[in-house]
Order: sequence, then structure tokens, then C-alpha cells
Amino acid sequence: MHIVHLKKGYDLRLAGRPDGALEELPRPKQVAAVAERLRFVKPRLAVKVGDRVKVGSLLFSDKRRPELQFRSPGGGTVCAVNFGPRRRLQEIRIELDAEEPYEEFERISGAELESTDRRRLVELIIGGGLWPLIRELPFRDTARPEIVPPALYVNLDNLEPFHPLPEVYLRDRRERMAFGLQALKRIAGAPAVVTVCRPRSADSEWVNGLASQGISGNYPAHDPGVLLYRTKTSLDQQHAWFIDGQDVLLIAELLQTGRYPTERMVSLGGPAAADSRHLRTRIGAPLAALTQGRIAGGEVRRVVGGVLTGSAASPESFLGLFEKSLVLLPEGRRSGTFLGWTLPGAETPSYSRTFLSAFRRPAEHPMDCNRHGGLRACIQCNFCPQVCPVDILPQLAYKAILAGEVEEALDHGLLDCVECGLCAFVCPSKIDLLQALREARAKFYDELA
Amino acid sequence: MNPVKRFFDSQRRHFENGGRWARYFFLYENLESVFFAPATVTAASPHVRDSLDVKRFMFLVIVALLPHYAFGAYNVGYQSHLASGLPLEIGAVFLSGLGVVLPMVAVTYAVGYFWEALFASVRKHEISEGLFVTCALFPLTLPPTQPLWQVALGISFGVVIGKEIFGGTGRNFLNPALTGRAFLYFAYPAQTSGDAVWTVLLAGRTASVDAFTGATPLAIAQATEAAAIPQAWSDAGYSFGTLFLGLYPDSIGASATLLCIIGALFLITVGVADYRIICGDILGFMVTGTLLNLIASPSTSPYLALNPFYHLLVGGAAFGIAYMTTDPVSAPAMPNARWIYGFLIGMLTVLIRVFNPAFPEGIGIAILFMNCFAPLLDEIQIRIRLKKRMPNVR
Repeated sequence: MHIVHLKKGYDLRLAGRPDGALEELPRPKQVAAVAERLRFVKPRLAVKVGDRVKVGSLLFSDKRRPELQFRSPGGGTVCAVNFGPRRRLQEIRIELDAEEPYEEFERISGAELESTDRRRLVELIIGGGLWPLIRELPFRDTARPEIVPPALYVNLDNLEPFHPLPEVYLRDRRERMAFGLQALKRIAGAPAVVTVCRPRSADSEWVNGLASQGISGNYPAHDPGVLLYRTKTSLDQQHAWFIDGQDVLLIAELLQTGRYPTERMVSLGGPAAADSRHLRTRIGAPLAALTQGRIAGGEVRRVVGGVLTGSAASPESFLGLFEKSLVLLPEGRRSGTFLGWTLPGAETPSYSRTFLSAFRRPAEHPMDCNRHGGLRACIQCNFCPQVCPVDILPQLAYKAILAGEVEEALDHGLLDCVECGLCAFVCPSKIDLLQALREARAKFYDELA
Repeated sequence: MNPVKRFFDSQRRHFENGGRWARYFFLYENLESVFFAPATVTAASPHVRDSLDVKRFMFLVIVALLPHYAFGAYNVGYQSHLASGLPLEIGAVFLSGLGVVLPMVAVTYAVGYFWEALFASVRKHEISEGLFVTCALFPLTLPPTQPLWQVALGISFGVVIGKEIFGGTGRNFLNPALTGRAFLYFAYPAQTSGDAVWTVLLAGRTASVDAFTGATPLAIAQATEAAAIPQAWSDAGYSFGTLFLGLYPDSIGASATLLCIIGALFLITVGVADYRIICGDILGFMVTGTLLNLIASPSTSPYLALNPFYHLLVGGAAFGIAYMTTDPVSAPAMPNARWIYGFLIGMLTVLIRVFNPAFPEGIGIAILFMNCFAPLLDEIQIRIRLKKRMPNVR
């Protein structure tokens, strides 16, 4: 297997990494379809409070492309439709019935897959409400079903703290995975590039067998954008598609069983987690059900989707369609120790070598959400270009964005940016580089549309 | 609870909304943040941040400079006792030196902080720690006899014109400490150049003033008629060891080459200074010096024949290399541009010293000159780099 190695990037070594243990959670009383953390999607509501819904019933669609639908992760009664600021749809809560009714979709067997028309297959996935799981680079919006992508990447691993391990979510599901990959091959017109992070321990060697592309190195080596940047040879390749390994299982389940899949493996961890592990629950489960009895105490931030790129979720929120990671971080809203900046810092986590920790490399760091410093102007410390996985000069791209020079930012590789957040993480001036780059990319995307 | 914490907590109400000094909240906040890192938490992703902030980044430079202050106090005292014919006991020498150095440092910090606080209050931002580095560097470059009012004027020029009018630390293109130093050099040459300014003559001296020449190694190098400058130096009592340790009349702390090497290694180790600039500097000195050696003949100035190692030894060259050229803000950002920047600084310094007797030390001017070209060097490397990048937009 050919291995692409990422020299740059950074491994946070965050404390509270979940091990391979898997715990089955009881069925929740309520589930919800979360819309507030969906990027780009403009939801158009299709239900109201009191409506009866089945698993897989239409809840809302995307105003930009009405055929792209988001379907119900549970069967029962719509008990609340919540709106956020400016009446943006936040979530649709569903009180589950004891016996959940299912919406029935068309089934396809492994043998039929080869003879099914590509268009037909795409329509089945769109109709089943799972098309949004396939996304398109460089903007990471929903893939355009009308194009044939130059490549389709499936990343089994996600190195951002903390995501489920393929060893856990693929255990007993290798046949389903193979079916899913076969379906994706039909859709993309070529075998999907399945990436796996190397090296792996001896007892999980079997995961390598599923992959066609090895990657090694620090976070974000797993990111399809990084792989694309490292392997692309022409401009035509930049609209590659990608999908997360676990989401392939969902598509396979939809096609095989004709039912909207609800199962989700989530990794729960972080310094404020009393108990770090993988949880088997369902899409749209309440976060409270996941964290029940597992919070170490103090003021805790619940981050879904990874500590570097994810969002903070309220304790009353639910698990979104894309979300497989819940990290509990201490809020860290306290002032530092007396003259803390003069201490040697044998345990202080840092990308730089300015603390003693750089020379003894502790195995893991209990980090919190404190910003660790005041906002300053850029001092050209050059940490961000050193850490950027796609060789952008983030500080200069950022300055170009501030000056309104979008063209210059594009020349700097704004569209190659994988939004990994490392530039903002390492910045000693505490500049919000990630937010600035994200906004600039989204704005440029809007202008293209 | 920490008594300092208790003090800040008890005073906080006066500065918060509705308090007597609410409009000076930024000052309170700045002062508090010196002792206790603020409790601010991240607002959006990334939710965790690195522990390094600008405060620590700058603080490490000051750590590297502290030995220079200890040495500077000793050397100033030692030279003045030597010239004044007073006993050379280490304690007494150190105390006299401290009596000269401390007021200069105090004035520098007081005046520098005043300007920074003024601009911070008008602009409503926090005080940037770059100021503390500027104020730590500035006195070390001055002759010990500099009148305090000139010290105040110099740091004012450095901070205001060298930095604040461009927007403060991070937005300046000149090294503020050197800008202040250059201002004094041109505005008050009588107090900043010549042979007499480098030694403080103390009251109660026993030696006659006439017996004291105080010529610096650079002045000797300029003036010597001898075939070899090192010979002229050792005749004047400046052996290699003396020059290496820095025990000769010079600006307060800049002569200690040994300490500069230690400081530079420290800053490279912690990743605050870039080895590329430092190596480029040294390469520039060596290559230019060697080339001049090649064209030197008995009819040319003996300066041309000077072994380039000696250029690194005298005239604050090591100090400039270790602490002034490595300022990340006024240096280029790109790695190769940093090599070139360093090389050209070394080259210019040697050329200025050898061919322009008006600027015997040379390196300060060379650094300020190259500061102006840093953006150009950056621009060249960025263009080359972006050309190699596969475009993403048609």
C-alpha cells in the first residue's frame, strides 16, 4: 500500500482518549434532527408540532436544492420545533413511540447493485435522505449529484480528538462496509479511495485490508483535503467528493434494508470526561443521555465534531447527523497562577519550544478552553506556516483577507485550506485565523453560486 | 490567597463600570494581566489554544538579556574605577556600575511605558509586551555617560516613531530600540560617539583625567597606522580574551560576545530567534571580510586586512546579531528571505566599518537599512513560492 506521509500538522496529545471499549446506551425517549450546526444548508421546514412521523419521514429540506432532504431519525410525535437567533431552525424534537413505525424505501441486493443504473442509485440515496453525507471539496458542501466526481475519498480514521476508531465501528460490519463501497464505486464511476492511518497495532491489522491508501503523520493527515492537496496533478481534480467511513455504513444499511438507518457509534472523551469510551447510540440522541454520569465536574464545555473544528453544544442539544464525537472540556474560566508566564512549564502543553514540556514531552495534556493570553497583533513568529498541512502562509492569507484582497488570498491557497484549525491553535497572538479563513471561504463560495 | 490577587480583587470595583476610574479599566486590566493570565475563554473553534502567548514569547528575550545587565553593571563600574584609579573590588565596582545603569533603565521603562499606555488608551487595546523588550534592549546599546534626559528622548523616539505611529508592536517595520539609538546618534553625536563617552569618570578619582584615553577597539581600528589591527589592540591592552568577554569601554551591555553567544543559543533553543538570520549574519560577516582580505594590500587601510572573526568580536556586532536582527517583526518572515536578510546585514556592517569612518560600529545602521528591505525580500520569496503552487481558481 502506498503511504502518504504528512510531516507538518500537530498531535495535540489531549488527555481523555477513549479506548476500544464499546458501551451500548439504552434507547432514548426523545431524539432530534439538529439543523443549527449544519453548514451551508438553508432548512425549509416540512413538519409542525404534533405531527406523527415515521423513522425516515421528511422533516426539512434544503431551500437551495429542494430535492436534498433531511429525514427523521426516530418515529413518534413531533414535540417541539425550536428556532435560534433570526428564526433559524435549530432542531426538531421527536417524542419516540414504544414501537417506532418505519418509512419503507426500495431495497437493493448485492447482486442487483452491479446492474443498477448510476442515476437510479443516486436517486435512492437522495430519496433516503442520506445524500448530504457525501460532500464535495474544496468547500465541503453537499456533493452535486449531477457531476461525476474526479475521485471519492472515504476516510476510515479521523485524527481530530476524538473520533470513533474504525476498529470499533467496523467490527462485525465488514460485509456492510464492502457493500457500501461497492455502491459508492457505482456512484463515483471508480473505486473509492479508502484511507487508513498507519501504523496500526497488530490486532487491528484487518482494518488495513479495507483501505487502498495509507496515510501517516500528525493531525490532520486523515483529512481528504490534505490527501487531495498532496496528490492532485490538475485543477480538474479539486472537486473530489468525500465521505466519512462510518457514514458509508449508513448508506449501505439504507440500500440493503430499505429503512432509514439510526445507529451511530460516538466517541466520548476529553479531560473533563470521567469515563472515556465509545458509545453505541442513535442519530439525534440527546447529549445528556451520552454524558449522564460521565462528567468529571466543574464548568464543562460540550464540543461536538472535534476540539479544533467542532462546535460547542448546549447540554440540552442533540447529536447531529454528521456528529460522531463528543469531547468534554473544562471551561477554564479562571485567571492564571501568579506570574504564570515566568514559570518553566514542565507540564504546559505547547506547540512551541518555549516551555520545559517541549523537552520532556508528556504523554498527554489536560487542556481546557482558556485562551491563554490576550489578543495581539501578528508578530511573525512563523508558527502557523510551520504547522499548516497544506503549505498555506496563514498569517499572510489572513492579512490579505483583512485587506479585502480575496484574489491574493486565493493565490495563497485559500481554497486548499482544510479548515483544520491548527493555525489558530498555535498562534501566540491568539488571532482567530480559522474563523477568518472559514468566513472568507464561505463568502467566496457564496459569490460563486 | 495570594496577597497580590487579593489587592487586585479589592481594587477591581473602582475600575469596573460605574467605578471612579472606569475609563482607566484597560490600565487595571493590563497591570493585572502581568501578574495573572486573564480568564478569557475561546469563543469558537478551535476550542483549545496553545499555552504560549506573546507575553511569554517576549519574556524569553528579556531572560536572555538579564545576564547582559549583570555584566553591564559590572563592566561600567570596572571601567570607571579603572579610569578613575579607584580600587577594583568586585562589590564596589558592581555597585558603582549599578548606580549608573539602574537610573537609565528606570527612565527607559517609565518613559516607554508612558507612551505605550497613552497609545493603548487612545486605541483601546492592551499594552503589547514588545515594549518591554524594546525597553530592555535600548539602555544596553547606550554609552554609560548618556544624560538621562537624552535617554528619555531616545526611547520616546524609538517607541513613538519607530513603532506606535505604525500601529504598535507587530505593525512596525523598524526595530524600535535601534530607531531610538540611531536618533540619539544623529541628534546628539557629542554624547554618543567619540572616545570619551564610554567610561564614567567618578568623583574622588585618583588618576588624572589626562592619563585616561578610553579609546574603544573600533576607534583604534580606525586610527591605527600599524600593519595589523589585532597588534594595535593588544598594545592598547585589548587582548582576544578581553574582547571576547567584553571587558573594555563600550556601550553598557553590548560588548559581551560570550553572553551574546549564550543568549543566541538560548533563543534558538526555545524557538524565539531564527537560526537562519543569525547564521546569515555570520556568513555575511565572514564572506565580506574574507573578500576584503583578498584585495587588501600594504597601501590600503589595515582595516581591509583584518581577520573577519574580529569584526564579529567588536563594536556590538554579536549583540546586534543575537538580539536586534532576530526581532521577528522587523525581519522578513520567509525562511530564505531571512538568510539573505542576515547575509546582507553582515555584509553591510563590514563595508560600513571599513569604508565609512563616520559610522565606526556599522551594525545598527546596517540593521535599520535592511529592516526597510525586509518586505521586499519577503515579497520576492512569496512570489516564487506562490508560482509553484497549483492554482485553485481558473
